Amino acid sequence: MEVMSHSSSFLLPADEASAKRYALIVLNQNLPRFTPLLWEHVLEIIAKLRLCADGGANRIYDELPLFFPREDALLIRNRYKPDVIKGDMDSIRPDVLHFYLSLGTKVIDESHDQDTTDLDKCILFIRDSPLNQESSKLQILATGALGGRFDHEAGNLNVLYRYPDTKITLLSDDCLIQLLPKIHRHEIHIQPSLLGPHCGLIPIGAPSAKTTTTGLQWDLTDTEMRFGGLVSTSNLVKGEKITVESDSDLLWTISIKKQDPNKTLRS
Amino acid sequence: MDSIRPDVLDFYVSLGTKVIDESHDQDTTDLDKCILFIRDSTLNQESCRLQILATGALGGRFDHEAGNLNVLYRYPDTRIILLSDDCLIQLLPKTHRHEIRIQPSLQGPHCGLIPIGAPSAKTTTTGLQWDLNDTEMRFGGLISTSNMVKGEKITVESDSDLLWTISIKKQDSTRP
Repeated sequence: MEVMSHSSSFLLPADEASAKRYALIVLNQNLPRFTPLLWEHVLEIIAKLRLCADGGANRIYDELPLFFPREDALLIRNRYKPDVIKGDMDSIRPDVLHFYLSLGTKVIDESHDQDTTDLDKCILFIRDSPLNQESSKLQILATGALGGRFDHEAGNLNVLYRYPDTKITLLSDDCLIQLLPKIHRHEIHIQPSLLGPHCGLIPIGAPSAKTTTTGLQWDLTDTEMRFGGLVSTSNLVKGEKITVESDSDLLWTISIKKQDPNKTLRS
Repeated sequence: MDSIRPDVLDFYVSLGTKVIDESHDQDTTDLDKCILFIRDSTLNQESCRLQILATGALGGRFDHEAGNLNVLYRYPDTRIILLSDDCLIQLLPKTHRHEIRIQPSLQGPHCGLIPIGAPSAKTTTTGLQWDLNDTEMRFGGLISTSNMVKGEKITVESDSDLLWTISIKKQDSTRP
């Protein structure tokens, strides 16, 4: 079984030597405090793909200046300009839309398509982009997919299951979530200064007859997991490498440490 | 008792609040412990009419949230409603046909039916904008999200346990 490797280098300072290529999607919830760091990561790399889904543009406009209270808000808004705003346009404020249009942001109105969510629309845009190639696929980071209405959150978790070949990481202030497809054995590399120790493996969608892990406080060994029975929550990572092998697709989640990763941007 | 502040603890102890320290039991979550307490302290006749309302079970760390959703599945005979500013969540056990009555001034219209633990081969509903008719639902395929309630009564029948969720309207609902 082929190994699929996971790391969270997007939480480290942007580094030109980094081989990873990221696209960022900002959805309509409060911005996590490390959003400027994520933004910079995409800036450093040739593929400049920072998308706001509709109301996510309001968040960038309103909340990014709050991360830099000593700097002029207009300067911050100019610096953190989305490349694309896409969605059904029912949440974005007119003043925000005009502001980014005047800066050259591409706005794609998809209000005719009510069958897919904003996150769906953005992922399809990234997948179809010429910047996303078979040889070096973009990893997608999405903020604002969790919290709020639970049906929205469930729909966003379902997006991970519906695009199993695309690396998508959902991020909030508290944690990240990634899909671990059953067809791979997984190696997850973490930065203990930024992530953990709290973690979990969640069999959303279907039970798992057998899951085996290494690197956790309470490792699983051919263990059954299902809703109504055992689900691995409030687990702890023990080191810097976790391995997971399962007969079922699982969601991996790990906590993000409460520090200001934006500090590293200033060094 | 690893999160409560000492000043808060002293305040409520002085008011007569009963404090039960369960720090020795690390195998169950805080929500679990509270539900067991409620079930153990009610008589059988009371407990089938008792509904448990829980706030703060959603958001934050996703593993916590998943553990709290799992509590709904692990106590299917107990009516538990998870509440946030934005929505409520209830389990609809597959063993029953469900009739959900809502207050349109307080709830909706956004709703969903989520097969969190296992796929559903057949679910049928009435009262929704996009009703299901022996429809299959599963993660990786169709799940019912961003649906809308059409009236005051919704019915659901399914071969699988589902989570029902409906939005809570943004008004001051503490006003009568």
